[in-house]
Amino acid sequence: MKNKAMSAALVAGAVATAVAGLSVTTPAHAQAKEKCYGISLKGKNDCKAGPGTTCAGSSTVDYQGNAWTLVPKGDCVKFGTAGGDFALPDGRQGSLTELDRDLPQA
Amino acid sequence: MQADRISRERKAPDGNGDFGQALLDASLPSPDGVIGPDGKPAPKRFNVYRNNVIVSLIEALGDTFVAVRRLLGDGYFGALAREYIVHHPPTSPVLIWYGKSFPNFMAGFPPLQAYPYIADVGRLEWAWLQSYHAADAEPLDPAVLGDVAPDAVGQVRIERHPAARLISSPWPIYSLIQANRFAPDDPPAVDMQEGQDVLVARPEIEVDLLCLPPGGAAFLEALFDGAALEDAAGRALTAAPEFQLPVCLQTALSAGVFSALVPDNGQGHLSAKDDATRGAL
Amino acid sequence: MAAPLPSSNRIHHTVPARAGAGLKGEHIPLILDELPDVGFFEVHAENYMGDGGAPHRALEAVREQYPLSLHGVGLSIGGENPLDRDHLMRLKVLNERYEPGLFSEHLAWSTHDTIYFNDLLPVPYDAETLQRVCDHIDDVQDVIGRQMLLENPSTYVAFERSTMGEIEFLTEIVRKTGCGLLLDVNNVYVSCTNHRQDPIDYLAAFPMDKVGEIHLGGHAPDEDDEGRPLLIDAHDREVDVAVWALYESVIGRCGAFPTLVEWDNDVPAWPVLYSQVQAADTILTQAVPADLKHAS
Repeated sequence: MKNKAMSAALVAGAVATAVAGLSVTTPAHAQAKEKCYGISLKGKNDCKAGPGTTCAGSSTVDYQGNAWTLVPKGDCVKFGTAGGDFALPDGRQGSLTELDRDLPQA
Repeated sequence: MQADRISRERKAPDGNGDFGQALLDASLPSPDGVIGPDGKPAPKRFNVYRNNVIVSLIEALGDTFVAVRRLLGDGYFGALAREYIVHHPPTSPVLIWYGKSFPNFMAGFPPLQAYPYIADVGRLEWAWLQSYHAADAEPLDPAVLGDVAPDAVGQVRIERHPAARLISSPWPIYSLIQANRFAPDDPPAVDMQEGQDVLVARPEIEVDLLCLPPGGAAFLEALFDGAALEDAAGRALTAAPEFQLPVCLQTALSAGVFSALVPDNGQGHLSAKDDATRGAL
Repeated sequence: MAAPLPSSNRIHHTVPARAGAGLKGEHIPLILDELPDVGFFEVHAENYMGDGGAPHRALEAVREQYPLSLHGVGLSIGGENPLDRDHLMRLKVLNERYEPGLFSEHLAWSTHDTIYFNDLLPVPYDAETLQRVCDHIDDVQDVIGRQMLLENPSTYVAFERSTMGEIEFLTEIVRKTGCGLLLDVNNVYVSCTNHRQDPIDYLAAFPMDKVGEIHLGGHAPDEDDEGRPLLIDAHDREVDVAVWALYESVIGRCGAFPTLVEWDNDVPAWPVLYSQVQAADTILTQAVPADLKHAS
């Protein structure tokens, strides 16, 4: 597809408009520096040990085998299923039924 | 797996390779030579390490993909993350860099085909994390662009700020990430028929997310790829006839997604007017 | 704007023989606001290996007010592979940027053939491993240009091929490399319980003259294959009374050391962690005057 063009004059005018609109207001990025010390993410590396001897890491039964039998149970179900608020575009619909499919191989 | 087991036997016992392989594959026995205080094999003790590895990595992914975890629920997310971890374990000890391929993994994961928007929410969360940790840089002062002579400004190229990212999706990923991560108490309406192009910016310390108007994504993508302003505007018009250059440019400038004008070696855009103005500043 | 501060702005280059706390993001605004009386803060190096943004901004601000200890958790010093050069350079850069008074890593491995397992995995105590660990520590100290402290691990398994005890192994490493030791008293208690040894004997044999820092932390109880106690180094609660007792006896016998309280899982509100730090400080201040009283 051939690109549409915008004339140099239009571009120059648009730049002038955009910059003029900004110059009278405080830049949006002038955040109060004092409040910037909060780290919203916790550190991901540490030297603690995990949950002991019984848990997901050592399990061979919960999610393994050749079928994936879980269904999402979070907010996703609200947005993405036939029984929820809407149907997905292009004819697809979410399903709350369990999916028995082979897991992808690495 | 059979071939792996044969190679296991050839290697020296209790080497890192055996130990590591058994960490990620719970169907393998605990490695030879790994014992408890009585000198006997100690599979339950070995499981402590298996749990440490898998659970800590599930946590790390959950801290990066907060909205995805909430959308799927903790149980499903944990199981999905575990599949990802055993097939795509980290290759760096720096865990803030772990999970780049997780959105693609979700996109290709057959049981998630009924939830096609999840992977794009994950891409937006990854972009948010990259922006959060990106190098610090002063955003472009809009006046610098305003100083360029009108006859030259169309040929200006602008550098992307190191923390700026752009994620386009046929799904309402901005609304979904707000509802499930940043504004869960005051969630926006989610219209699943709507696609959203999201600009990620971090002019200082806090990461901002902005929904772009029509053509905005094509415009900024072109600029970030190194196109001149006039060409980028043309591409945006082609993508969306209702594209408004002044609005998009103002949005981008005020969000701080540019760092500098690209220096032009030829008869460039830094015209006489620019030099004169600079002298006066 | 986020350029490293000139070192002249920092008054604390050495970590004092006082109690400190593991620095947690959620505590930082309060710490900078109230500037609690804490001997030092310690961070996990890997959490500050991004290019910029909030983590560095916050750490710069904390560093301006407090001495710092830098604690690596991912170098894989005990691994069979050569050390990751990129990671080593990242540690060097952090050391140069933040000028920590102490720098430490673990006697453990975590990376093999490009996979990072995100845990402190155990090593057999034999001559081959000893040589490899020493080579790696030489490498670290050469590249970073300073002494490092090596931490004794919490372990859950042993290796058939081990030919020496942990203290003999650590002592040999110190002798060959000139590195110092980070004595984690909780790890001593956890490992000794797990391997049915006496932590008092362990501490009596530990080369305390090589110790540059002590760690304290909480552990979680579990059971091993035979149903006997197995302790997990979870850092998810207060320091155990048994660990406090061991710590107190070490300090009473050997004097004061910079002492960190670690709390990494289920991190509590700052006052809870701070009270643990103060408890350690009390033990330290009771110990120090033994020498000082004499001097004055």
